[in-house]
Amino acid sequence: MKPLYSLFLTFGLVVLIPACEKEIRQEEQFHAFVPANIDPSAGNWATVHLTAPNQIAVPPPAPVNSDSYQAELEAIKDAQQKLTAQQHEIIRFWSGTGVLRWNQIMRELVAQFNLPPAPLPDGTYPVPDPENPFSDPRFPFANPPYAARAYSYVSTAMYDALIATWHYKFLYNRPAPYEVDDGIKAFVPQTDLPSYPSEEAVMSGVATELLKALFPAAVEKITRWAADQRNAALWSGKATPSDISAGLALGKAVAAIFMIRARADGMSAAAGNKAQWEALKLNATSRGDVAWVSLDIPPRPPMLPFFGNVLPWKMTHDDIVALRPPPPPLADSEEMKAELNEVKQFLKNSTRERLRIVHFWADGAGTYTPPGHWNDIAAEYIAEAQFSEVRSARAFALLNMALHNAAVACWETKYFYFNPRPSQLDPSVKTLTGIPNFPSYTSGHSTFSGAAATILSYLFPAHQSKFNDMAKEASMSRLYGGIHYRKDCEVGLDHGKQIGNFLLDNFARTDGAD
Amino acid sequence: MKKYLCLICILPVFAGNAQTISDGLMMPAKNLCTGVLYTHDRWTNYWEGTLKRDNGNIGTLTTQSAMWVAAYGITKRLNALAALPYVWTHASQGTLAGQQGIQDLTLALKFNLLNSKAEHHEFKAFVVGGFSTPLSNYTPDFLPLSIGTGTTNFSGRITLNYAFLKNFYINFSGAYTWRSNIEIDRQAYYTNGQLYLTHEVWMPNVFDYFGSLGFHKGPLQTELNYSQQVTLGGDDIRRHDMPFPSNRMNFSKAGLLVMYYLPWPKYLAFRCAAHYTVSGRNVGQSTAITTGLLYTIIFKDKQSQL
Repeated sequence: MKPLYSLFLTFGLVVLIPACEKEIRQEEQFHAFVPANIDPSAGNWATVHLTAPNQIAVPPPAPVNSDSYQAELEAIKDAQQKLTAQQHEIIRFWSGTGVLRWNQIMRELVAQFNLPPAPLPDGTYPVPDPENPFSDPRFPFANPPYAARAYSYVSTAMYDALIATWHYKFLYNRPAPYEVDDGIKAFVPQTDLPSYPSEEAVMSGVATELLKALFPAAVEKITRWAADQRNAALWSGKATPSDISAGLALGKAVAAIFMIRARADGMSAAAGNKAQWEALKLNATSRGDVAWVSLDIPPRPPMLPFFGNVLPWKMTHDDIVALRPPPPPLADSEEMKAELNEVKQFLKNSTRERLRIVHFWADGAGTYTPPGHWNDIAAEYIAEAQFSEVRSARAFALLNMALHNAAVACWETKYFYFNPRPSQLDPSVKTLTGIPNFPSYTSGHSTFSGAAATILSYLFPAHQSKFNDMAKEASMSRLYGGIHYRKDCEVGLDHGKQIGNFLLDNFARTDGAD
Repeated sequence: MKKYLCLICILPVFAGNAQTISDGLMMPAKNLCTGVLYTHDRWTNYWEGTLKRDNGNIGTLTTQSAMWVAAYGITKRLNALAALPYVWTHASQGTLAGQQGIQDLTLALKFNLLNSKAEHHEFKAFVVGGFSTPLSNYTPDFLPLSIGTGTTNFSGRITLNYAFLKNFYINFSGAYTWRSNIEIDRQAYYTNGQLYLTHEVWMPNVFDYFGSLGFHKGPLQTELNYSQQVTLGGDDIRRHDMPFPSNRMNFSKAGLLVMYYLPWPKYLAFRCAAHYTVSGRNVGQSTAITTGLLYTIIFKDKQSQL
């Protein structure tokens, strides 16, 4: 071979390849659409926490022939004449439905804040402080129970606020600006949905108030997203300033009602104290079991051991206790030895496909958590179904109520039994993903997945077997990864399904939306 | 004396032990040098972004590799280089399982662009085009236990070598490496301040350079070297998070190398190198020792016998 030719060949390759496009799209592709049904009767659907759709009063709007309204239309026209490419991008971003966007934003916030505090030099761990959220460790540590609860508050409040919105929209029937005035362009697909109060402004108000409380260190971007959503409604010809101000006030008022519930739901006592942690240990040893210990180095206090006492949605604490699964096998039983042996066999005979499953469902520190993963899955089906905003909100509310209830029920079970992980019983068990810092029985992933698959199967019955397969895979991933026994997974999956069905039987099937 | 030369290549992308793809030596035509190098690399402290720390859930992270290497003189001015390591990782504390497997195959062509020789000086310039790609389906998304970052790489390198006082040399080499994006097993991850909802991970390209001062006489080559890798983009490891493949992994390493052709058997060389990470970002502060044997095979060809 002539040296010069090979030289050109080599460097031709080296020079050409870097020109290849490497940029990737970061967000889900949500597209604007006309909903199959604008759900005009949604104002009559059952609310989650509001006493009635009109619990918050919204005054009647000024008539469309009033001077003030005409001035608002002029303001829209004025804004539309000067729209920049960046403003059009904001319209595009929010036009694939606000409910889906806020869900995506929540997942990002959870992933951003789902990091456990680093240990101090003395081997203890600092506690994130809501009064000082920007310091290290930042507040919150958005672990799975924290995240499940956060997703559920924003989703339910947004749903109730949109039921109220639909109630007033069809009570006052004020048409959208693009219908009233031919001079106003519609930069989003037109529908017959009345515009007062603006659903975008309602969502922005709910999301801002709740997310600022749940993720205070992210206040800046939360506020920016919310303002963008309101501006997009105005710029796109969908809402006037009075539609928006009424919506914002309604959204904030609904959020305030949910905040009252959140402050008293038991979350502030969920971390417990040292004496309470000792009592949990005693509970396990008095049953003849080995008590769980943290496998973090240095040992970390248990993750939210009293989250099982947090108020669930549409069920009581007694309902949670009644559904608690029977005890796991004791550590020294033959049954547990067989369980542990199975974990070791899976680790010994691990395959690349099982490792893929472990990592696909790991959803550990730094991620949007298992509840976030099920929201991610749900978002795809909800977007594809082209629901109205209020029906999309219902889907996320049902899913996240069930996921929150699953978190409460699973944590209640975990800390009631307080049993050890496989690696505690046998330190030679080396795992394919991080060991979560809480007891083994039952598996949180399994409980979340059972609950989520049950709700999604109800919402999208054509895909039932797919959801159940995914839930089964998520559940078994914890056994493949060596961090759970089979029993944790199977019992947890079944427990989650019961939790999901409880919500369907006691709320979803009778809420008037079907 | 040129029959003593044996060149080994490693692309300095993951393990960072850049050596001899970046040196100023060439295999004579129709000579093949091949062998196996064993590397033991360990760190206890690492940089989380710029914060130096340790981690009880990792303890000491040990990475071992056994690497097949080969360099062949196509002509006296053009060499082909190849390397393929098998890698094991192990954490001394915590529960995370070590990983092992065949890592990335590296292929490169090295061309001697320029030779300028005076009585006691010699100046040489080289260009190297390299390619590497994973040969097994390992996961890059289990750092620091992953055995590699999973990228396919193309690199272009320029090396300048100046020999003086008969047996001394200084060498400078710099390379730009284009790295492909990778796919990981999960469908969402957080980096660069945002949530990415895709399996695909954008991987920043890498620049590295390498400088050495050496002595080379007869069967003995020895040198002191310094290398630096700069990743052109990527995020820092977040506070108390696990590392992510696209992190901005930078480091500076100081090292030394000894290579010696044994008196017997003929053509067998012993090679030993050590590297210490002086500073870094999103990497472990590793100490690495490489040792191995290399054998030179001379294919008979009267034309190119030296």
